This record gives sequence, C-alpha cells and structure tokens, in this order.
Amino acid sequence: MSGTDGFSPKIVAYVCNWCTYLGADLAGTARLEYPPNVRIIRLPCTGRIDTNLVVKAFEVGADAVLVSGCHPGDCHYTAGNYHARRRWMLFRDLLEVVGFDMRRIYFTWISAAEGRKFQQTIEEITEQTRALGPYRPYEVEPAATPCSGCAACSAGSDPSHDREGAVADSPAQAHLRETAARLLSGGAVKVVIGYGRRGPAFITRPEDAARLVWNQTCFANLTTYLKRQEVRALGKPAIVLKGCDERALVVLEKESQVERAEVHTIGMACPGMGQPKCESCDTRQPRFADEMIALDGRPAPTPTADRYAALDPLLEMPPEARLAFWTAEFDRCLKCYACRQVCPMCYCERCLADKNRPQAIDTSPHRKGNFAWHLSRAIHLAGRCVGCDECTRACPAAIDLRLLNLALARAAETQFSYRAGTDPAAEPLVGAYSLTDKEEFIR
Amino acid sequence: MTTLTPDGLRKLVGEWMAAGKICVGPVRVKPGTELFTRLASPEELLLDGWVRPANSIKEWLLPRHEVLYGYRVEKNRIELLDQPETVPEQIVICAHPCDAAALPVLDQVFNWDFRDEAYNRRREATTVITLACTAHDQECFCTSVGLGPDAERGSDAMLTPLGDGQFAVSSLTEKGRAALGKAEADGHAGRTNAPPVRFVPRQVARFAVDHFADPFWQAQSLACVGCGACAYTCPVCHCFDIVDEGNGREGVRARNWDACQFPLFTLHASGHNPRHGQGDRQRQRIYHKFHVYPEKFGETLCTGCGNCARNCPAGLGVLPLITEIPHAEPVQA
Amino acid sequence: MQNLYKPDLMEVIGVRRHTSDVKSISLRFQDAERARQFTFRVGQFGIFSAFGAGESTFNICSSSNWRDHIEFCFRKVGRVTEALWQVEEGDTVGFRGPYGRGYPVEEWRGKDLIFLGGGIAMPPIRCAIWYALENREEYGKITVVYGARTVGDLVFVDELAQWAEHPNVQVIQCVDPGGQTPDWPGEIGFVPTVFERAQVPASRAVSLVIGPPIMIKNTIPVLERMGARMSDVYTSLENRMKCGVGKCGRCNAGPVYVCKEGPVFTFQELQAMPVDY
Repeated sequence: MSGTDGFSPKIVAYVCNWCTYLGADLAGTARLEYPPNVRIIRLPCTGRIDTNLVVKAFEVGADAVLVSGCHPGDCHYTAGNYHARRRWMLFRDLLEVVGFDMRRIYFTWISAAEGRKFQQTIEEITEQTRALGPYRPYEVEPAATPCSGCAACSAGSDPSHDREGAVADSPAQAHLRETAARLLSGGAVKVVIGYGRRGPAFITRPEDAARLVWNQTCFANLTTYLKRQEVRALGKPAIVLKGCDERALVVLEKESQVERAEVHTIGMACPGMGQPKCESCDTRQPRFADEMIALDGRPAPTPTADRYAALDPLLEMPPEARLAFWTAEFDRCLKCYACRQVCPMCYCERCLADKNRPQAIDTSPHRKGNFAWHLSRAIHLAGRCVGCDECTRACPAAIDLRLLNLALARAAETQFSYRAGTDPAAEPLVGAYSLTDKEEFIR
Repeated sequence: MTTLTPDGLRKLVGEWMAAGKICVGPVRVKPGTELFTRLASPEELLLDGWVRPANSIKEWLLPRHEVLYGYRVEKNRIELLDQPETVPEQIVICAHPCDAAALPVLDQVFNWDFRDEAYNRRREATTVITLACTAHDQECFCTSVGLGPDAERGSDAMLTPLGDGQFAVSSLTEKGRAALGKAEADGHAGRTNAPPVRFVPRQVARFAVDHFADPFWQAQSLACVGCGACAYTCPVCHCFDIVDEGNGREGVRARNWDACQFPLFTLHASGHNPRHGQGDRQRQRIYHKFHVYPEKFGETLCTGCGNCARNCPAGLGVLPLITEIPHAEPVQA
Repeated sequence: MQNLYKPDLMEVIGVRRHTSDVKSISLRFQDAERARQFTFRVGQFGIFSAFGAGESTFNICSSSNWRDHIEFCFRKVGRVTEALWQVEEGDTVGFRGPYGRGYPVEEWRGKDLIFLGGGIAMPPIRCAIWYALENREEYGKITVVYGARTVGDLVFVDELAQWAEHPNVQVIQCVDPGGQTPDWPGEIGFVPTVFERAQVPASRAVSLVIGPPIMIKNTIPVLERMGARMSDVYTSLENRMKCGVGKCGRCNAGPVYVCKEGPVFTFQELQAMPVDY
C-alpha cells in the first residue's frame, strides 16, 4: 500500500509510566518536537500491557502501535519488563501467523532520559506508517469458500461423526475394564473417567465398567473433566490417559489445579487415533501413569511427520493472504465457547471474556470480537497448550484453531526449547522470564 | 410433474443473485464440514454428499449478532439511531424439512403479545426451498417430533430427489410460486427413508415435570462441558443477550445469541444461581423444549435435526439424553 | 415501524441517595406526548439503561397515581448500576416498559394489607404502599414491617415515617441483632420474628412479602399461623432478565416466563412451580 495524499496516520503508544512516559515528557520540556499523530496511553508498567490492548488499538482504527517501557534492569517493579518481553516474543509470532502487518507494530525501550530517542522513534514510526498508508485489517476480503483443498488446514473432518463406527474389541479394552472394576470395588477411587461408546463416561460402580471402551474413537482429552465441579464432587477419580493427555495433566499439576496424589492415572499405550495430531506424536504412551495398559507387546509407532509441518502452507502465503484466511475462519465463529469449555487449560472460574468491568473482549460474534477472542485465548495458552486439538474438534464452525496453537507451540520450542507438559520440572513459559531472552525486535 | 436439474437449479440461483437477492445454501467449508452459508456463486451450492449441514438457517432470521439501534451522545443529549427497516430478500435453497419446520415454531415466541418486527421483517423476506431427505444418520430423529424426510411445514417449495440427479419440484406457497413458478409434484416421487421413531414428546415432558429434581439430570450431564454448541447449531434455540458496545460518545445496543448452558445465563447479581450445576442446565433444555414451549405455544421446540448431538464434543444431545430416560415405554418403529 | 427494543429517552429530574450503595432516580419522559399517554400498574417493572453500559431490570417503585414522573431504585453491584450511580440531574437514561404483571390492586379492595420487606426489597413494596394510601378508602388496616441488616441499609426512611402518620397504618422498622445504633428507636430482630411479635391478624388480609430467600422462607409460616391463605400472599420474583418481553428466554423459571407471567406471583402459584428461581 502506498501512502496517500493527506493521510495522517493514527499511532497508539502504550507506554510505561516510569520510563517512556517521562521520556516523552522530557521531549516536551526540551522542546523536541514530535509529530502529533501519536496518542499516548500511560500504564504503570509494560508488564501490565495486555496483548489484547494491542489488538484493541487496531480495532478502534490505529494505523500503527508502539509499546514502550524501561530498559531491562531498570523496571520500576523490578521484573515487569522481563515478563513483557517474553510475552511479546510469543505474541509477535502469533500475530505474524495470523497475518497482521508486523511493520506496524513497534517495541522499544525508552528511558526517562531519552527524550530524543522518543522524538526520533515517533518521527520514524509516523513516516513509515504514512508511507504504508491506512491500516484496515478488519476490512479484508475473506478467503473464498468452498475450500480449495489447499491443505493449509486440517479442521473439518470431525471424527465424532464416526462415533458409532465399527471397532473391534481388544485385549487392552478388556484389561481396562478389569482395572476400572478393581479400582472401584476396592474403594481406591470413586469414579473412573474414561471413554464410553458415545463420548466421555463416568463410571462409579464396578458393574458399569463394561461401558468403557478403548478404540479408535478415544481421541478426546479427558483431563478437562478434572476441573469440573460436578465431577470433583464425585470423589477421587481414576482417569484414562493417553500419552498426549498426560502432558495436560503435567501442566495442570504445575499450575496447582490438580493434586497429583489425588488422581489415579490409568495409562493407555496408544496406537494412534487417526487424527492429524497423531501423525507427529512422539508421546505414544504416558510416562508417569500409576498403572499402564500396554500396547499388546508391539513397539509404539514412531512419528511420521514434523510437528509443525501443518503450518508450512500457511507460512508460505504472504501476510495479506494469511489475514484473508483467518478472516474467513473467524467470520464463522459463533462465540459458542466450545473451544474454551473443552480445553483442560481453560479453567478460570470467570473467563476474561465473561467479565464486563471492563469488557476487555467484545462478546459479540462479529469480526473484531472474534479476532479479539481467538487471539486472546491463543496467547493465554502459549506454553500451556499441549496440542490435544480438542478445541479444533469441538468447534462447530470448523475453525482451524489447531494452527493458532501450533504457531505458539512452534514459537515456544524455537525460541525457548519449550514444549508444554513434557517436563514436570520445567518452569511455566510465560510465568517465568530469562535475563537473556532475545530482543532483536526491540529497538 | 415439474422437474429441475442441478444445472437448472444453479441457473435459477444465478438469476436470483443477479437480482440482488441473498441466496443461502449448504457449502463445503472444510473437508467433511458443510455449513449453510451465504452463496458467493451458484457453483458453491452443494446439492449432495451430505446428510445435513452442521448449522441451521436461523442465522438469517435471528442473526448471531444484530444491532438493535445505535446511540450517539452530544453533550447531554442522546440520540438513538434506527437500523434500516428494509431487509433484502433471502432465499434458502436446500434447507432440510427439519430446518424449514423451525420457522413456524419460532414465529410463536417472536410474536408472543409483543411483535419482534426485526424477526418478522426477515421472516417475511425469506423464501425456503426445502430438499427432501434421501438419507439420515443415527443422530436424526425428526419422526419422533412429528416431522419426516418430506415434511412440508415451513417450506415454501419442496425439491424431491428423483434418483437420477433431477428434482421433482412442488411449490407450496405464494413465495414458492414466485421463486419456482407454479409447480406440482405428483404424489411423493422418490419415496424417502425415514428414521425410526424413538420417543413420544409427551412422555418426555411428563418425565421432565415429574422428575424435575431427579439426580438423573446430574448423572447424565457429567460429560457436558457447558459450551453453547448445541444451542447455537439448533434450528429453534433462540435465546439471546442484549449488550452495549461502544464508548461514552457513541456505540450500539445489539443482541447476540446466548444459551442456557452457560452458567452466567441465570446468575443473579447477588451471586445466587438457580441453575448452578450442569445437570440443572441440561434439564432446562429438555424441560423448555418439550414442556414449557408446547404448553405456551402448542409446539415442541425441537425439529429432530440432530445437530446438537453431531456438534457436541462429548456425545450428548437431545436424543442421547432422552434415550437414557428410564421408565419410558419403548416405541415401536 | 416499531422497534420493540428501543427505549424511551428519559430526563433525570432527581437522584436520591439512600445508603452507601443504594440510590433512587426520578425520571420524566423527554417526549411530552409519551408522558401524557404513559400508564402502568404498581408491581410492573421497567428496563432502565445507561447508554454504553447496558440495560438492567428494576421495579417501577413510584405510585401509578403520580403522572409526572416514574422512579426506580437500585443497588450499585455491577457494570450498569455503576454507570447509573454516576447519573446526575439533567442526564439522559433509557427506559423500556412497563412490563410484566403488576399487583392485582383491584382484587385487594376491602382487605387489610400487610407489607413485609427486607433491605433492598422495599422499593417494589413502596409503590404499592403509596398506591394504597392514595386510595385509602378501598383498603383496611395497613401494616408495614420493614427490616434491614443495619440502620444504614434502610431505604426510604423518611417515607416510612410519613406512612405511619396515615390513619389505621402501623409501620414497624427493625434491624438485625447487632445492626442497631445506640439511639435506634425501632425493633431489633429479623423481619419474621418482629412480624410474629406484632401479632397481626392475616385471615382478612392480603400480604406482600419481598426479600431475600431466607427471609421469605421464615416469614411464610408466620403468615400461615396468623391465618393467611397462600393465594392471598404475594411476592415479586427477582430474576435475570434481558428483553423483558418474553423472547430471550433468560427469565424462564420452571413453567413461566417471569417477565410475562410475573414478576408478581402468589405463593400458591410459586408452591406449584419447581424451584427454578
């Protein structure tokens, strides 16, 4: 887009009170003129700058956004800017995959003494944005349907359609039923959370253990039920876990949502459930289960695909095409919150989206509200999502949420060698920070 | 007998679109997922290869997000800004009988004493061309709620597949005739197969009333995660929320779809929640659909489409829940 | 064409602060014609809004005999009520209504009236009391027992004093034990207890009881002991509402839509309903 005559860019600057804001003030008192295009929004610390504020700026018509704070080591609150830096490292990758124009988002460290740097930064941003022209990310023409089969996504083939499909009984299934009956009659557990014919089953009596199945329809991640108050009220649970599911349990335990000793895990060696996530799976069986039901003596299959291969078609598209793709995806969103409700990691008693003082994320299922929701949810799951793809499966509008989660998982692994739920001793990704976190993108 | 070929139908769709009408039909959105979508071209219209789309056509009568009016504040004066009153004509092509039958059902609540003119305007502007079903899956149960694969309720015209790719055409109303001309199908060409009857609605209502506080509801709802997928894909669920969006200077008041499955739906400001467990909320679905709505309007608030079960990530749904009701007399198919 | 959801614009002509978190607001229609035509029945509710914050449901707590304005009363608990808290004289507020079934005041003629209320439940009772006092000859003895947790939580206290000055009207105020100030002249005790102490005959009376569930639960047996029939005991249900016109489904409680068949119910009707409220 070339600059248009008479176009005066609107720039929103989120700045921290103690450094950049004072730097801007210094520019003023030192009579260093800078373009009036910038609207400065002062927050106590960059650590307080929620990622949805950046998105909000574009919602209300900003052509560029600046986020600026104290230099590392100078934060008034000691570590706020370290947390912010780590958050931005991940959020940038998300925005890039979604197709936002990253030339319009700037991060800087500007101290209270750097009035000139503030002036120069604003001048530079204003000129660059003027050249780029107005930014209308929410007015993009959505990518065409029907899908062209470009393989950019994997959503849509909800396996639950074949819920009642023919599946043979197996020794593993019989073993599972015996295990469940034993645990219940011995009183060791009060409920066995497993898979039934149609979906999750909650077995409370030994004689009902025959309702449990173990077959190709057992793709759901049952750990999400550990947070449901109605399930907790039943008493100590045993839970049937595949290797991928166990990663969720590791995260939940790390985040103090589950007392490991209060859950009895029945590990299943999984032959693969035929889902997209299974092609690249390298955790075919749980590592920390209280008891294991083995893979009938055969070795576990090895992964056949690169974990993040699904992102390639998307990343090969230019940003505008990516944004068009995601516009088409999010336009279908109904705000049913199935993605949130099935997710084991979405356990907040009151979700940010359900709060209205302030209304941080519009509840309406319109384009802006849908982008805000999905971007927020994705970043809240950064370093926590284990890739169970339940959200993708649950979405009634076939939105390829898997790609959003993969984007952040890839960012986590590439930038921090981090994979959620694989190392029980690892620190939380976004909750922690390192003094050596990379910041080439910060001026 | 009047017939249409697929090409003929698409040609008509092209003409309607050229005339500025909004055309809606099943579109393959992803491999394995079809959704009722506003057509961008006649070629998008998917005439076969699906049992039923994963959503419903209520979007075009009760949009998921609808601005009721805008507001603008100038000093102390507030001005309310009306929405346009004319609605473009809409034609739904290849709705199923379970979609079409939803319209006369929804008409009741939206005209219950107070007339919802936004709904009525859209209703007036909508023509529904129904495609009779030649297949059903295990989630379908239209016959249990008084409908069937060629039921005509709510339809303006009916297309019945003849087996050779063509459709027999039957125009049922003025709107149908306006779209497809005078057309009569002779008898029921291409007899379709119907799902077996699985329950009697009256018995379901009886159970819900007599066993309102029964632990049955809680026990059956353990797998429910409390999302709104069932309600939002249901042809007749219509609950909505009203929100203000904007700032101190200007904004809109809009209504958005809402669902009784969310805990916030009945949460009082005091913190008291009459339906604080998912069991209470699942019971509400059945109770409202099979008892309250019929008591008030003489209509079951369910058309047996099965979308709830198909979209539920946990395998629940109206039919799965009803089949667990004990003491229900088995129904002979 | 009429937009069912479009509110009337109302001018704020008065704001009264009752407690640290309760205010009542008096409104006048901006449209004079509408003001002339507007009528309602006591017990009906309206949906009041602060543009930008949202809508909220409140009983119209003024008497239906007052033709020049309407009033509503609210506690500051959430987004909308916080916005309403900021409202001043001259501001504009939205109003939709009147909705719902009001009190059947014609059927109450010739009977004694017993009004029992707790805390923030006084406003929906206040309108009925003023109505009855303004139609004094139609009703018998009027008894009011009104209590709150503490003295500071009582609302419309000046009017309570005014009511007591009317003929054949008994007004008893009470606060929960521990909620009294040193100079508190009223009763100390919960509303059901204080009401029982007053020994008010109820067999020829119509009663209106509104308050927190625990208060209602304990008051009903007292009324029965005093001779009341449940078909003559009324309440107003607080429920989550949104549209107010029977469409959005939120207020559906058991077999009824509170916004259409309520919010006023007799206890006989409530006892026939499942507890879904």
